[in-house]
Amino acid sequence: MSYAYLFKYIIIGDTGVGKSCLLLQFTDKRFQPVHDLTIGVEFGARMITIDGKQIKLQIWDTAGQESFRSITRSYYRGAAGALLVYDITRRDTFNHLTTWLEDARQHSNSNMVIMLIGNKSDLEARREVKKEEGEAFAREHGLIFMETSAKTAANVEEAFINTAKEIYQKIQDGVFDINNEANGIKIGPQHSPASQSLNVGGSGGNQGGNCC
Amino acid sequence: MAFLQWRRFNFFDKEPVKDPATDQIFDQLKDVNVSACTSGRGQLIVGDFEGNLYFINRQMELTAFRAYEIRVTHLLQLKQHNLLISIGEDEPGINPLIKVWNLEKMERGNPACTRLTRAIPGNKPTPVSAFTVHENLNFMAVGFENGIVLLYKGDVTRERHSKSRIVYEGNKCVTGLAFKTQGKQDLFLFVVTENSTVAINLTAKDQQTLLENTGASIGCITMSDASQDNQLVIGRQDAVYFYQPDGRGPCLAFEGLKLQLHWFRGYLIIVGRESKTLPRAPVLGPHGMEMNTVTVYDIQNKFIAYSAPYPQVIDVLCESGSIFIFTGDRKLYQLQEKDTQSKLEMLFKKNNYALAISLAKSQQLDQDGLIDIFTQYGDHLYSKGDHDGAIDQYIKTIGKLEASYVIRKFLDAQRIHNLTKYLQALHMSQTATEEHTTLLLNCYTKLKDVSKLDEFIMTKNRAVDFDVETAINVCRQSGYCAHALALAEKHRKHEHYLKIQIEDIKDYQKALQYIGKLDFESAESNLKQYGKVLMNEVPKQTTELLKRLCTDYKPTDKPLIDQNSLDGTLPSKIQKANAEEFIHIFVNNSSKLTEFLEHMIEVQPNSSNLVYNTLLELYLHDMVHEKDISTRVDRERKTLDLLKNPDANYDIDQALILCQMNNFKAGILYLYEKAHLYQQILRYHMEHLEHLHVIETCKKFGQQDPQLWIQALSYFACKEEYCKSQLMEVLSHIDKKNLLPPLMVIQILAHHSTATLSVVKDYIVRHLQLENDQIAEDERLIKQYREDTEKKRTKIEELKTSAKVFQASKCNICSHSLELPSVHFLCEPHSYHQHCFESYAENDMECPVCAPENRKIMDIIRAQEQSKDIHEFFHNQLERAPDGFSVVADYFGRGVFNKVTLITDQHSKTSNASTR
Repeated sequence: MSYAYLFKYIIIGDTGVGKSCLLLQFTDKRFQPVHDLTIGVEFGARMITIDGKQIKLQIWDTAGQESFRSITRSYYRGAAGALLVYDITRRDTFNHLTTWLEDARQHSNSNMVIMLIGNKSDLEARREVKKEEGEAFAREHGLIFMETSAKTAANVEEAFINTAKEIYQKIQDGVFDINNEANGIKIGPQHSPASQSLNVGGSGGNQGGNCC
Repeated sequence: MAFLQWRRFNFFDKEPVKDPATDQIFDQLKDVNVSACTSGRGQLIVGDFEGNLYFINRQMELTAFRAYEIRVTHLLQLKQHNLLISIGEDEPGINPLIKVWNLEKMERGNPACTRLTRAIPGNKPTPVSAFTVHENLNFMAVGFENGIVLLYKGDVTRERHSKSRIVYEGNKCVTGLAFKTQGKQDLFLFVVTENSTVAINLTAKDQQTLLENTGASIGCITMSDASQDNQLVIGRQDAVYFYQPDGRGPCLAFEGLKLQLHWFRGYLIIVGRESKTLPRAPVLGPHGMEMNTVTVYDIQNKFIAYSAPYPQVIDVLCESGSIFIFTGDRKLYQLQEKDTQSKLEMLFKKNNYALAISLAKSQQLDQDGLIDIFTQYGDHLYSKGDHDGAIDQYIKTIGKLEASYVIRKFLDAQRIHNLTKYLQALHMSQTATEEHTTLLLNCYTKLKDVSKLDEFIMTKNRAVDFDVETAINVCRQSGYCAHALALAEKHRKHEHYLKIQIEDIKDYQKALQYIGKLDFESAESNLKQYGKVLMNEVPKQTTELLKRLCTDYKPTDKPLIDQNSLDGTLPSKIQKANAEEFIHIFVNNSSKLTEFLEHMIEVQPNSSNLVYNTLLELYLHDMVHEKDISTRVDRERKTLDLLKNPDANYDIDQALILCQMNNFKAGILYLYEKAHLYQQILRYHMEHLEHLHVIETCKKFGQQDPQLWIQALSYFACKEEYCKSQLMEVLSHIDKKNLLPPLMVIQILAHHSTATLSVVKDYIVRHLQLENDQIAEDERLIKQYREDTEKKRTKIEELKTSAKVFQASKCNICSHSLELPSVHFLCEPHSYHQHCFESYAENDMECPVCAPENRKIMDIIRAQEQSKDIHEFFHNQLERAPDGFSVVADYFGRGVFNKVTLITDQHSKTSNASTR
């Protein structure tokens, strides 16, 4: 797999907000209604194209459970982007956002792009958190905001790709030091032209997939 | 914290290993002070603190030999080669010695030791804490307690050519080493010490990557297999971490103190001590041994495959497809993995179908097995009332599971959404039958889901994956005519299209246009079928189409001249239908029929007689029902024109009947004339008492049929009213042409009272006069013939009886004076010089002068003789002759009744010869 950049993402948020489902929808384009609790940190990858460049997204899906917090924290480091997810049908997940944000800001580099995601937008009937509230929170903390549904795949692609675009823009603006891998960005390997034509835009592997 | 763990199953059967020879529990190692274990190639290998190596083969047979003088510390059996590498000590003190044993080569009953190398980092002997050998036999890494890692490069089995170098220098004991080949060439060495985890790229100048600032204790390091991408797996207190050479990968938060990590076919085996969560003191096994927990995790499917306590696990060996656990009481336990089917059974019992499916997939279960799981899952969800979920599962069984099984479950009206979904999927997979299509369409219509119906019908441009006719029928029945129509049009089901267009939608215009677009055969047959309806509704257009169809038909959407005819290669065949086959369509619409037929006759004068007959009938009908005189005349003219049209191929008899029925005089007369039925014309006139016309007809056709006159005569004769002039005229004609003997005329006239004598007086008188003259003439002739006959008789008598004097002085040929020798004939008499006679006469018997005359008479007689026998000729003559009697008389004269045939040659010869 040849790519121009590799971006490291991390998905955080309370347990049961649909982090793993978002990842599964993005990498495998499928939805699993029954999903076991994430024990530890899982992993997914997918290639996307931005501005004509192949970009590999390496996504770390963390366990939302409080007891795993210490483990997941160690994964903040070296992430270029974070998807902070809450469940629009559960207000408490929205209320915990501040804690998560603090945690993320504290353990990651300051330039990390954070996208706030209100998931389960398909369950409009059970909505507890208004879209406006999400927007307001995002504005207040300088985040990008989007409501998604991992079940219907609405906005899932956009959430990941918009984050990547933001990071890409920051690279273009010189905000990120791309040579410091601690920023969660890696320049693609000097690949031979022969291998360049292969594997364009393919979806990534599952947990523990090819990681370069 | 059981909640934060994976699902737990028991997919392994625990069994203490027995000695097959004695059937007792295998305890031959009970006194061995085990220091190291390894396994491979079907055998388990144990080393002890006395320097012995024990080999246990599959049959649990134990062999042993002494490998080291003091003790064995580390053992490694390679998987691809039958090589055992051991580290131990032969001399007291710290003096680790690497030995490589070739287990295939025996020397004095023991395996051959092919290499013997001291393992000393730098110059200070240090105990070895970890070591590993690359399967390619070119690399061997040894880690020491002081944190140094020594890499031996070159053939592992021999000491020669082997070079060693220090690749890592840490400050804590090296706890684990592992090689990883990435890509084609990159070779990495993972080094784990007590406080760090490092990857060293051996192919890139030993470039080091620090993976983590923590390490692991001895034993808690293993390598995953290819299913998990050959990652380094490290167990720590909080979790199990996976590493790639360039960084940390995922982690699994399995808490607890870990003693050993092993990898077995996609399973991660952790030997741990659950200290924190246990409320009481560590459970002690027999002999006061600490209890350990052996847990087998399925990493891919995320569940615990086995978990059980064992007393003080020494090592876990993975060999021959099962796991051997070597416990502190020197017993071996074998964990045998259950077969996939029984695993699935267990999952089914717990209704854990999702896991069953992913397990089946990872175990490469065949398709049938998977289908079975889907079915069971579907059944389960169905029984739980989760119909949406159930149908999703059933959809996965399409192609294998009998569709009716599923359909029957969802036939309830409330489940129609699910049923629809299933049927849709069925159609997608191209396995739907006609009934399925029907059902699906019925579902759509029941749901009133027009958009779906649209989608199903309109957007399927690929191969037809449902039965179109069924679909059309269902759509029609449920009132979705537009859909049915679209379907029919798309799939060129012309009959259906027209049926719908005409019977349901009643858009006749469109139907007609559609027919116009069809190719000839379809257009023809469809028009035959629906022509009547169309004619009723849109007569004008239908007629136009029919005209086209019956002349030179081309579908409207085709160019007038197709490519073939342009190229001139293949003259396109003119396709036209038979007009007569469409006549019935025009029932109750005679004006259009007239128009149509006129058109047909115009473009195609050789149309069949049915066309003409029908047209004629129409004309007559029109004519009769026309009230207005001028138009009526016009119509009469038109009809007559048709009748007189030389091309008109009507049936005369039928035309006649039609004319008679409609009382069309001109037509009747024309037809009689055409059919040469002059008598009929006459009779027609007679019936209509048109005397003038009777005479005229007689005059006109008297030539062809003289009988007309006679008929006219009897007609006039029996007329009540006075019609002398006509009678006179007829009589004069009869007289002139001598059509009837006077007696007959009299007879005819006598029958009727109206004809008075005065009328016929002249006629009779004239005739009597004529006959008198005739009689007189005949008598005169008879008398003359009698006289002639008498003369001939006397002459013959004379010739017979009296002599004849030849007095001629001149030769009748040369007119010179007669000289001897001479020849005399009785006939005139004629005399000739002999030489003249010889040169002139055709034969000796005849007089050359009289011969031509005689011959002429003879010929006449002969001809009469011959012709008298040709009876046909006689009869012919008799019939043709105006006076038959004269013919008979003539023949009588020729000797028809002569019994003896006259042979005149004989006569003349005798008579002539005698004169010589």
